[in-house]
Amino acid sequence: MIDVKNIQKSYGDIHAVKGISFFISTGECYGLLGPNGAGKSTTINMLSTLFPPDAGEILINGLDIKKSPEEVKKILGVVPQEIALYSNFTAWENMLFWGGLHSLKSNELQKKAEELLQLVGLLDRKNEKIKGYSGGMKRRINLACALLHSPKILLLDEPTVGVDPQSRNMIFELIESLNKQGMTIIYTTHYMEEAERLCDRIGIIDSGVIVAQGTLDELKKQSEIKDVIVMQCNQSPDESAIAAKLNLEVKVTDHTIYIQTDNSKKDLTRCVISCSEAGYEIHHIDIQKANLENVFLKMTGKQLRD
Amino acid sequence: MFKIFKKELKAFLKDRRAVMLTFLLPAILISVFSLAFGGAGGDDSIEKIPLLVCDQDNSKITKQTINDIDSVKMIDVIPCTFDSAIDLIKRGKKASLLVFHKGFADSVAAMRHLPWEFQYDAAKPQETGVLQSLLSRTVYGSVGKFMAKNAIIKNIDKQSPGMDSATRKAVIAKVIANQESGNSTGGTNLEAVIKLQTVSVISTKTGNLGLVQAVAGTAVMMLLFSLTGMGGGLLDEKEQGTLKRLLYSPVHPAEILLGKMAASILVASVQLTFMFAFSSVIFHLHIADKVLPLGILIFATAFACSGFGLLLATFAKSRQQLQSMSTLIILSMSVIGGSMVPTFIMPQWMQNISVISINYWSIQGFYDILWRELPIGVTFLTKVGVLLAIGATFTLLAFRLFRKNVLALD
Repeated sequence: MIDVKNIQKSYGDIHAVKGISFFISTGECYGLLGPNGAGKSTTINMLSTLFPPDAGEILINGLDIKKSPEEVKKILGVVPQEIALYSNFTAWENMLFWGGLHSLKSNELQKKAEELLQLVGLLDRKNEKIKGYSGGMKRRINLACALLHSPKILLLDEPTVGVDPQSRNMIFELIESLNKQGMTIIYTTHYMEEAERLCDRIGIIDSGVIVAQGTLDELKKQSEIKDVIVMQCNQSPDESAIAAKLNLEVKVTDHTIYIQTDNSKKDLTRCVISCSEAGYEIHHIDIQKANLENVFLKMTGKQLRD
Repeated sequence: MFKIFKKELKAFLKDRRAVMLTFLLPAILISVFSLAFGGAGGDDSIEKIPLLVCDQDNSKITKQTINDIDSVKMIDVIPCTFDSAIDLIKRGKKASLLVFHKGFADSVAAMRHLPWEFQYDAAKPQETGVLQSLLSRTVYGSVGKFMAKNAIIKNIDKQSPGMDSATRKAVIAKVIANQESGNSTGGTNLEAVIKLQTVSVISTKTGNLGLVQAVAGTAVMMLLFSLTGMGGGLLDEKEQGTLKRLLYSPVHPAEILLGKMAASILVASVQLTFMFAFSSVIFHLHIADKVLPLGILIFATAFACSGFGLLLATFAKSRQQLQSMSTLIILSMSVIGGSMVPTFIMPQWMQNISVISINYWSIQGFYDILWRELPIGVTFLTKVGVLLAIGATFTLLAFRLFRKNVLALD
């Protein structure tokens, strides 16, 4: 569906994207995860045909974006990072304007606009001007405007910036529902939990390059990040004895034992039994699941929100 | 308090735009206004004022008088026929015509009232006023002397018939010398006889020059301001991200600019129409039978001003930059182009450069329709053509800058 081959983009001396490649299948939700300035928006702008890459190739549905940008635009829906709406227009007027650019028939457009306003929970406020909306409501309309022409592919560029939890949840549910209906989605974010929740596969982008990509499990494997079972005991356990018994990597600090495992759920009982059999009284147990945050830190050497 | 004072000064000096608006903008505007009103900057060299001359008498005295007028440093005599002269004045190409009607020489000889007249364009009072004053002086010096001499000779011959030739010659010379020193007029009221008849070429029945100037001048200036503001919407769209969203859609970038241009032209046309309709209702500006030329000129002006607004908007990097830039350019253009003060009261060299402004061509076009009452002809269509050419040039440049400045989104 989307085939990105070694694309590059520079602004003067600044190399924003330095040779990115990825492939996204139909119906897949692909996340581009990276800090601000990593090259996510530049990649989205190239994918959305706003400007061509300096080098490399992008094929969308078999169409080269350089050769057939107009055809590509017809199947793309783009949700920009900004609230790109006319604030003096009502939600309804905005919907009709943005949908009208895709040459939809009037009755078809009105029907679709109503349907989408219902989906984002703003049908009863459709005649209010955008400038009177909350940040979350604006974000919802921002998303709805990209869906009017029923695109096959949806590009979302950090669509939840400054959004309240209720709106965020509504946006997530809508994206999940669209994805279930077969829409291909590219989602850029610097929120780990969003990528974890929504994306089938994730590309970790930093300083214009994709440092790793795959499913969350694949990324964990690539980064060799494991779950950690943390147990607080009544005395300092014998590190080597426990490690030998469990055949896992074990580290002890004071009275706390840290056991690294690929599957904390499966190994938890075994760990507890081993410690008890060794005569240690367990006061507290905690499981630190491997997550994208650890993976990102391991892969890039920096925190995502740096 | 001192810390706040210091901080305020520091903040002010760091804001280059504020510093520019405080010092540079007024300095430029003062310079432009001063130059327009002729208070500074002009050199002292004498510009010749063109005077059309139509000699229908074709006599020795008219030729002599024309030669005398031509010898005046400030007057450039242009011989021509009556009809072509009137046409040139009506079209605003020339301002004044001196006509020597048939029988001029006979009237001089008979000391009758002279059949000559000075026809002028009331839209150029400064130029025609200077000419009238120069003509009076010159004509009194040539025709007046000739008539006075004739009167003296006639008087002497009448009072002392049979005087020998030498005595007669001496007496005549003495009386003429006295007359020249102002002691005698030869017994005739020369001023009344020589008096130049003045006629305005344009009928003042329907037109009111002041009103036309006020309406046209203000309308064009206000239009430039409002269209620049409208063009600035492009920068707002860029800042708010809606421009990017438009580019994500299947709309071609050129369509975005063309759509804005079309809206701008429509709003401008409606605005100008409203201004003229308002002036017609409230101030009785006569436009009822001039709807077609007025419509054509309104469209051409709207097109030129829209192109201008769009060009500035695509050139500026931000709304603030656009605001200061447009204030400076529009006020300067309005001063030199005749929106604030009529061009005819400006020094000639300023009048020459006024053609670089949209205001000039538009206001002169409105003069043609509402003051000179010209039909739709070459003179009027030339102004329309210039406005359309300005609009087209500005629009093309705006397209180039749109690609270069505005579409460079990141």
